[in-house]
This record gives sequence, C-alpha cells and structure tokens, in this order.
Amino acid sequence: MIRRVSAIAGAVFLDAIKRRIVYAVGFFAVVLAFSAPSLPSYGVGVDQGVYREVALALTFAAAFVLALALAANRIPSEVERRTVYNVVARPVGRWEYVVGTWVGITAVMAAVIAAFTLVDQGVGLVRYGEAMWQLWEGALAIWCEIGVLTAFAVAISAISSAVVVAVGTLTFAFIGHSRQPILSSFPGLPAWLYPSLDTFNVINPVAHGSGYEWPYALIMLGVLVAWAAALLILGSLGFGRRDL
Amino acid sequence: MTGSTTSAVLESAGMPASGAAPAIEIRGARKVYTVFPNTKRVAVDDVSITVPQGAIHGLLGPNGAGKTTTLKMLLGLVRPDAGVFTILGADSRSRIGRSELGFLPEQPYFPPQLSAAQALRLYARLSGVPHKDIAARIDELLTLVGLEGQNRTLLSAFSRGMLQRLGIAQAIVARPRVVVLDEPASGLDPIGQRDVRNLMLKLRDEGATVLLSSHQLSEAEVVCDRVSIISRGRVAAEGSIHELLSVAGRTSIRVRELPAGLPVAVADLADDVALSTGGVLVFSVPDDAVRRAVDAIDDAGGKVVSVEPKRESLEDYFTRMLARTEEEAKR
Repeated sequence: MIRRVSAIAGAVFLDAIKRRIVYAVGFFAVVLAFSAPSLPSYGVGVDQGVYREVALALTFAAAFVLALALAANRIPSEVERRTVYNVVARPVGRWEYVVGTWVGITAVMAAVIAAFTLVDQGVGLVRYGEAMWQLWEGALAIWCEIGVLTAFAVAISAISSAVVVAVGTLTFAFIGHSRQPILSSFPGLPAWLYPSLDTFNVINPVAHGSGYEWPYALIMLGVLVAWAAALLILGSLGFGRRDL
Repeated sequence: MTGSTTSAVLESAGMPASGAAPAIEIRGARKVYTVFPNTKRVAVDDVSITVPQGAIHGLLGPNGAGKTTTLKMLLGLVRPDAGVFTILGADSRSRIGRSELGFLPEQPYFPPQLSAAQALRLYARLSGVPHKDIAARIDELLTLVGLEGQNRTLLSAFSRGMLQRLGIAQAIVARPRVVVLDEPASGLDPIGQRDVRNLMLKLRDEGATVLLSSHQLSEAEVVCDRVSIISRGRVAAEGSIHELLSVAGRTSIRVRELPAGLPVAVADLADDVALSTGGVLVFSVPDDAVRRAVDAIDDAGGKVVSVEPKRESLEDYFTRMLARTEEEAKR
C-alpha cells in the first residue's frame, strides 16, 4: 500500500514540479517579496511586523493559487486523457490513487512554500538585518492549511470538473475563515459542525509577536491529518463508484 | 486440509480454486448508460467471452459496438450492471485478479513531464516489480519496443507512435500472464505494426494470453486464434478464424501458366475467378469437382500452385455479419 501510494505521489510530484505554472507563480511571488519592504514606514520595530505579515499573506496567496492550479485539474485531466487507466487497471485501489495524488501535490506545495519562505527570510535579512526565523512557523501553518484545501480540491475533483473544484475550494476557504460572523448570523447552527480553518491563522503571533509554542504545531498537524483523512475518504468513495 | 476447504480458502481470497481456469472469462456482461434522466442506452447486453490460457483472442466490431465498454468492465474501469468477470479464475476487479494483467488503452497518454524511464518506473512499482529488477527491466522494454536511448526523453516530446510503443511497454512491464491490448497498432507505421504483431506472437509463445481489440482486420486475421465479433452490444459471432471463414463445400485452387485462360471444363465449374499477381489465376470449385478440375488444368499445360479449402476474407465476413445484425435489428 505505502509503495503504491508513494509511487503515485512521486510521479505526481515530478510531473507537477516541472510545470510552468509553478515557476510563473514563484516568479511573481519573489517580485512581490522584494517589493514588500517599499511599503510606507510605520516606525521602528513596526516595519518588521508589517513586512512579516505581508510576506505571509503573499506566501499564502501564491500557494493557494498554485495548489488550486495543480489540484483542480489533476484528476479530471487524467480521466479525460485516460492516463488514469494506466494506474487503476493495475492492482491499485482507487483510494490509493486519490491519496497518492494528494500526497504528491502537498509535497510540491511543501517545496514551494519553503522556497517562498527562504526568499522572504532573505529579503527580511537584507532589508531589516533580522533573520526572522518565526517566518518558518508561519510557513508550517500555511502548508497545513494548503494541505486541507488541496485535500478538498482533490476530493471534489475525483467526482467533478475543474471549474466546480475551483469555485468549491474558494468557497470552502472563505467559509472556513468566516466562522465567527457566520455563526453569529445563524445562531441555530451547531458550532462543532462548522468547518473552521482558523486553527491555521497564526499571523498575529508570527508577524507581531514571538511566534507560537511547539505543541501548537502538533495541534495544527493533527487538524491537517483529520481534515485530510475525512475529505480524502469522501473523495475516494466518490471516485470508487465512478465509471472511467 | 480437505479439498473443499482448500477451495473455499482460495475462493475467499479471490483466487481460482482450479488450475485449469480460463485466462479470461466474461459471462453475461451488461451495461446500461443513462443518457438523459429517463433515457437508457444499452451499451453491452449479455456478452459472454471465454479465452483459454495461451491464446490470442480478437475482439472485433465497428465503433460503438461495445468492445471498449466490455474491456472496461473486465478491467474494473466501469461498473457493470450484470455479469461475471474473471482473470485466471479470480474476480478481475479484485487486486489479485488484476495482479496478472497488463493493459494497453486505446491511444495511450502519459503524464507529459515524466521521462520514459520515470513513467515505466512508476508502472513497474505499481505492478509490484521488485525494486532491484526495475532498472534492467526498463532498459529491456525500451529496447524491445524500439525506444532504446529514450530513457531520459520527456514524454511531452514523444510522437504519437512513440507513445503507443511506450504504452505497449507499460502493459507488459510486470510480465503479466494476461495482456489486454486495445488497438495496439493505432498510430504506428507499417514496421511498427509488424513489430506489434510479432510481439503478440512472442507473448503467446511465452505462455501469455492476449485479448486484442482491433479495427485492423488484417492484423486480427494474422495473429488471432479465435475472434468474437461484437455488434450492437452483443456477440454476433465467435469462433476460430478457420471456422468462421471457411466456405463449406468449396475448394480454392491457384494455377499458373494458363495464358489462354481456364479450360472450358474448368470454367464451367469455377466461381469467383480472379487474376492475381504473377499471372496466377485463383478460383473456387465444388469439393467433389476438385479432381476433375486439376486433371483438366494438367491436360491444358497449366501448373497447380495450391489447392486448399476456400476461405472468405475476414473483411468480407465482417461486413456480411454486420449487415446481417443491422437487418435483424431493423426487424
């Protein structure tokens, strides 16, 4: 099982990492990172916090766009081009294909987010003379959230088209970050049922504070695993019943 | 352990209880697609095909006949509405059933950013080829399908024919005992088509079973031991090429060195007279008139090249069979 999932994930990684979209998004993210220090000055000590906040927001935005681009059309295009036949006609479970696809894209996102963070850190070091190690804490939170959003996109893409995936994932991300206003508008909605992504919102402690404690990293990883498992099970069930 | 207990254990594991199971068995396959909420289209209806081990079996039929849907049900790509599908006695949709299977889809396509070797490595790993054997197997296969030296070439740079060759390589990467090939000669030049034919014969010689779905009747006629002709979702005819194409009661004779044409005694008996290359005359006579015809040709100074049971071409048979099923459907 692990051999098959890792084989699929490895192929997805190799195929995705060479796509032009990765380098196009990366290029613009780097340009933005270099231009971030040109923001208006807010005073000594505040500038660094604003820079970190902007850097994390840009990293998240670029990673989200890239994850959508890679995940939304992966399975639909493999079904349309019939490349999926070469995989699922073998002794490979359809759930292994879905999970392998998610692992591969999430691995690409890890590499991309790490590269963005390195650039952010380098720019911060040059501009402010500060290593800004806490950016890596933010990078972990971004990667965890992107992992959940990628799982959502992969799960929906297993049964639907790329356009539906893109719209659905954007909606999911919006709802996931609007817990408070929506719950206050609909008091009857059970809070425990609400799909919240707020666990991954660590901008304040990372940008303006001293970061978060390491147990919180474990909580974020746990939430990522729980979300991803639930979404990928649903995606696998849908894909397993689908005629290819 | 008793025999019945052993059988029960094997069957519960999805494995054949008997060693003499056919390589492929499809029984009562049926698939109905819902085209519009209330409109049903029967793609495959009660198709049954049995392929013994070590044979090359052709699956022939026009576009939309139900060949690909039948194959997809066998391979677990499409959920059947009815039917039993086994490979070497095991349910073809189980992991065990597919562990001995290689499949070449029609017009195969691969992740374009992978190299040929990376793609084959992926399929070898998925098929359970031991890690230590993979590199050597990739080199061996690329040479076998005429892609030697292309290990590192990205598949986005491959031509249609090269992708087809790679498709054949991935189908046999794990040395499967059963190979399903959907239009294997599609996109190949004449030399490539010949190579594919030879490969199928080689696979059979090595003990593998091949199920060949093809539009190329000449290819099927050359390599297939038996064929099933599918039309309108049903098996319209099935049998060995010899059985299907033999014309009962008539013998085909080929003669040469008859510049004046057939002697009158033969001309009265002959049917389907045709002049072939090299001045060879081909015609057929009733079986009981063969002796008389040969004697008459001898007397006229002609030379008999061959005397054999008359066979229809597969193309003629196929056309006639489809016309018949069309007429039956109209009635």
